[in-house]
Amino acid sequence: MADDNRKLINLTIDGKPVQVPEGTSIWDAARRLGIDIPVLCHSPRMRPVGVCRMCVVDIGQRTMAASCVRPCEEGMKVEASSAKVDQHRKMLTSLLLSDYPEYSAREMSTSNDQLLALAKKYAIQDIPFADGATGMPRGTDMSSPVIAVDHQACILCDKCIRGCDELQHNDVITRTGKGYTARIAFDLNNPMGESTCVACGECMAVCPTGALTNKSVFAEMQVR
Amino acid sequence: MKAFFLNDIKAQDSGSATAVRPAKVKEVDSLCPYCGVGCALTFVVDEDKNRILYTRGRDGAPNAERLCVKGRYGFDYAMHEQRLTQPLIRKAGSYPKGPLSSAAKDSTGARKPGGRVDYNELMPHFREAGWDEALDLAASRLKQIRDTHGGGALAGFGSAKGSNEEAYLFQKLVRVVFGTNNVDHCTRLCHASSVAALLEGIGSGAVTNVVRDIENAEVAIVTGCNPTENHPVAATFMKDAATKGTKLIVINPRRPQIADFAEMYLRPKPGSDVALYNGMMHVMITENLIDRDFIAKRVEGFDALKKVVAEYTPDRVAKLTGLSAADIIRAGRLFGSAKAAMIFWGMGISQQTFGTDNARCLIALAMITGNVGRPGTGLHPLRGQNNVQGASDSGLIPMVYPDYQSVKDPRIQEKFEKYWGVKLSPQVGLTVTEIMHAALKGSVKGMYMMGENPFLSDPDINKVRKALSALEFLVVQDIFFTETAEFADVILPASSFMEKTGTYTNTDRRVQIGRPALQPPGEARQDWELICEISNRMGFPMKYDSVEQVFDEFAACTNEYKTLNYQNLGAFGKWYPCADPKTSQGEMIVFGDTFPSGKAKLVPAQVTEPDELPSNEYPYVLNTGRVLEHWHTGSMTRRSRALDTIEPEAFVEVHPLDAKVLGLSEGDWVKVKSRRGEITLKVRVHDRTIQGSVFIPMHFREAAANVLTNPAIDPIGKIPGFKFCAVGLTRLGSRP
Repeated sequence: MADDNRKLINLTIDGKPVQVPEGTSIWDAARRLGIDIPVLCHSPRMRPVGVCRMCVVDIGQRTMAASCVRPCEEGMKVEASSAKVDQHRKMLTSLLLSDYPEYSAREMSTSNDQLLALAKKYAIQDIPFADGATGMPRGTDMSSPVIAVDHQACILCDKCIRGCDELQHNDVITRTGKGYTARIAFDLNNPMGESTCVACGECMAVCPTGALTNKSVFAEMQVR
Repeated sequence: MKAFFLNDIKAQDSGSATAVRPAKVKEVDSLCPYCGVGCALTFVVDEDKNRILYTRGRDGAPNAERLCVKGRYGFDYAMHEQRLTQPLIRKAGSYPKGPLSSAAKDSTGARKPGGRVDYNELMPHFREAGWDEALDLAASRLKQIRDTHGGGALAGFGSAKGSNEEAYLFQKLVRVVFGTNNVDHCTRLCHASSVAALLEGIGSGAVTNVVRDIENAEVAIVTGCNPTENHPVAATFMKDAATKGTKLIVINPRRPQIADFAEMYLRPKPGSDVALYNGMMHVMITENLIDRDFIAKRVEGFDALKKVVAEYTPDRVAKLTGLSAADIIRAGRLFGSAKAAMIFWGMGISQQTFGTDNARCLIALAMITGNVGRPGTGLHPLRGQNNVQGASDSGLIPMVYPDYQSVKDPRIQEKFEKYWGVKLSPQVGLTVTEIMHAALKGSVKGMYMMGENPFLSDPDINKVRKALSALEFLVVQDIFFTETAEFADVILPASSFMEKTGTYTNTDRRVQIGRPALQPPGEARQDWELICEISNRMGFPMKYDSVEQVFDEFAACTNEYKTLNYQNLGAFGKWYPCADPKTSQGEMIVFGDTFPSGKAKLVPAQVTEPDELPSNEYPYVLNTGRVLEHWHTGSMTRRSRALDTIEPEAFVEVHPLDAKVLGLSEGDWVKVKSRRGEITLKVRVHDRTIQGSVFIPMHFREAAANVLTNPAIDPIGKIPGFKFCAVGLTRLGSRP
C-alpha cells in the first residue's frame, strides 16, 4: 500500500540489477526480475513465515537466507540459482521427503503435489528413510466429508494454518505435539469432521503436499 | 527402496490402478453459481465424461481466490441423476391439477419424506414429449389465454439465478408478447424493501460501494445479516478489516458468528430495528456528531427527521429494544465519530412488514453523517442470489423496464415501444405475492415459471398450493422436478449454470461472465433459446445469434451497462458504471458528488408493531433464514453429495432457557405450529437464538419453514415479513 514514500533499495539478483522499495523481500524482488525461486510454505496471498527453507538464497553470508522473509538490503548481491544454492535445495527436498507416503493423494488426484514436483526436478526417485512411513505412524483423518488428512505427507509448512486463521478467519487449524509427533490439529485436537471446521476448503487449496486433499475429487475420479 | 508414485502419462499407460486422474482435463474460467458475492473460480472438467472434477478459486475482485463450502464442493448438483432431460407433458388422467408428491400434497403437519423428490411418485403423471410438441402446446395455451382474457391474465416469474441475458429476454417476452407487466422474481422476497427505500432516498437501488471497501472504513455496521453463513467469502474480508482495526457494530437478535470479531454486538428484540436506529440518530444529533456540510449540500428532509428522532431518547429506545441506554449511546457515538463508516444489511432488515422503514433509517444514518461516496463509506445491502442485482437491472420487476425506467412514464413507454416495436401496457404489473393472490382469485390464469420454486420460497405454502392448483395453465422451465413443477402442464428441461454462457452482476455491481463447463444432459436446452422459441411460436420473432447479442441489446437500453460488452468484460468483469472500460475497472464507489435523484431524501420512520404478535397459543417469534451449506429451496444443494452430507436435515433452533420451559432437549422431535400450518422437525438447543424466538432454515421440504410464515407484506416494498411470525412448539414423545 505505502509503496510511494518508501526508500528505494538497489541490489542484484543473479547478476541482474533491481530497484525495490525498502522492506521488499528478496523473493518478491526476484519475481520482478522473472526469477522463480521455489517455495512450499509461501504464497503471495499469505504472511511469509520462512519455515520450509526451500527458497534459500546465497547472500554471501555464513548461512543461506530464506528469501521469502529476508528483506532486500542496499548493495546486496543475491545468488538465487547457483549450483551451491541448488545443492542446498536438493538436500532440503530429501529431508522434507523422508517418511513421505508412497502414494500422495494430491499427486494421484489433482497431480499437483509441489514437493513431488521438486523431487522430480532434483531427480530424487526413492523415498529417503522410507521405513519411517511404514504403517503410517503419523496417522490419517478421514472424518471430514470433503477433506482427507494424511499427516504422513505433512511437512508442517503452516500454510493451512494461515489459510484457516488469516485468510478465512475460521481459526480452526493449529499445531499440536513436539518433535517427531508435531502435527497440525483441529480445534483442541478433534477429528476434523467433528471440529468447528466449516469446510471452506482453503487449507486443502493451499496445501502443497498430499496432507490435505479433496475427498470429493478422489471419489469422483474413482467412481468411474 | 520404495519409489514415489508420480502421476504422469507413463503411469497411466502402464495401466496402474492408482492413476485416477484423467489424462485429459479442460479448465474453464467461470463463476460460483450460488450467492451474491460472485466468486470467480475455475471448473476443472473431464471433457470425455462430461463431469466437473473440482473447482479452484480465481483471483477475482470479489474473492481473491477464496471460496466457501458451496463454491468449493457444491457444483455436483448439475451432474445429478435427477436432472430433467426431456420435455414433459401432464397426462390427461392427472387432471384436475394439484400437487403430486406426498410431500407437496399433505397440508397437515405430519412428518414428510425428506431429501430429494421421489421421481417415481411424479413421473407416472407426465409423458415425455418432443421439443416441438411441448413448445407448441406451451405457446398455444398461453396465446389462447392472452387472446381470450387479455395480457393481464398471464404472468411470469423469472429468476435471480438466471443470467442478465435470460432476465432481459424473459421480461421482454412478458411485456412484449404476453402484453402485461406481470413479471417479477425472487428479489421481491429478499431486498424489495431495501430497493424501494434506496430508489426513494437516493434514486438508485444498487450498492454505493463494494464489500472490500470495508478495509478503508473506521466503523462498519453489520446488521440483519449473517455473512459468515450467507456471504461467507465477503465475511472473510469483513474479518480481515476487523483484525486490522475496523470496528464492527454487529446487530442481530440471532447472534451471527461475525459478532466474535465485533467491537459491539447488539441484540435488539426482533422487530425493534426502527427504534434502535432512531435512537442512534437521536444520540448523534443531540451530541452534534453529524456532518452539517453534507446535510446542507446533499440532503433534504433533515428537519422532519430530526423532529421524529427527537422522540427516541436512549431511555425510551432501551425499553423498545431491550438494549441498555448506555449501549445505544455508545453505538451512536461510535458511528457518529467515525471518519469513514459503512453499513451492510441483509434480510433481517428487509424481510419485515416494515422493511422499507428499516432501510430508510439506515439510509438516514449514512446521510446525516455524510457517510457515502468516499472510500470506506457507503450503503451495502448484501445481495443474496448470484444475480439479484442483474435480474433487477434487467427489468424483471413489474414497475420498471430495464435499468429501473418506470413503466408509468409515458415517454419511457414510448421509448421502449420504439425499441421493441410493439405497443406496451401502461399498467404497473403485479408482484410475486400479488400474482399468487391473483391466481387464487382466478384473475391470473396462465404462468410461465423460469427457474423459480415458489412452492417452497413463498410465505404461507398452503395458500401457494391452492393458488398453483387454480392456474389454468402453467409452464415450468427448470433443471429438476421442483415442488412447483408438480402443478405444471408442461415442463421444459433447462440448462444449469455450468452449461451456459451469460453475465451475472454481483452484490458489488460487478458484471462478470459465466462460461460453460458441461454439456446439458439429454435433450435439455439453453434457457434463452427456450424463451425465444416460446416468443416465436406466439407470433413475435426473437432471433439472436448468440448470448452476446442479447447482452448488447440489453446494454444499449440502459445507462449503467451501455459501455460494457463481452470483449471488455473479459475474464474478470467490470464494475458498473464504467465510463471507459479500456482503461478502468469501473466504479468501486459511487455518488461522490451527487445522487441520481439529486439530493438525498430523508424519510423518517416511526416504530410500528409487527403484523402478528405472539399470543398464549403462539408464544414464540419465528425467525427464518439459511444455513451455510444449503441454498434456498434446496433443489441444488440437497443434490450435492458434500453439502447434503454435512447438513442433512431440518431443525428448529431453541434458546436453552426456552427449551427448559418446554421440556425440550437436543434431538427431540417437536411440532411447530403457526396460524397457517404446522411442521414437524428436530430440536437444536443453542443460545445463538434470542430467548423467546426460534429459528428454522427455509431449505427443507420435509419441514418447510414457509408453511408457517405470514404472507403479510410491507406496504411499499411488497416483501413478506419472513423474519417475524408467531408460533407455538409442542414436544413429541417419539420419532414421528
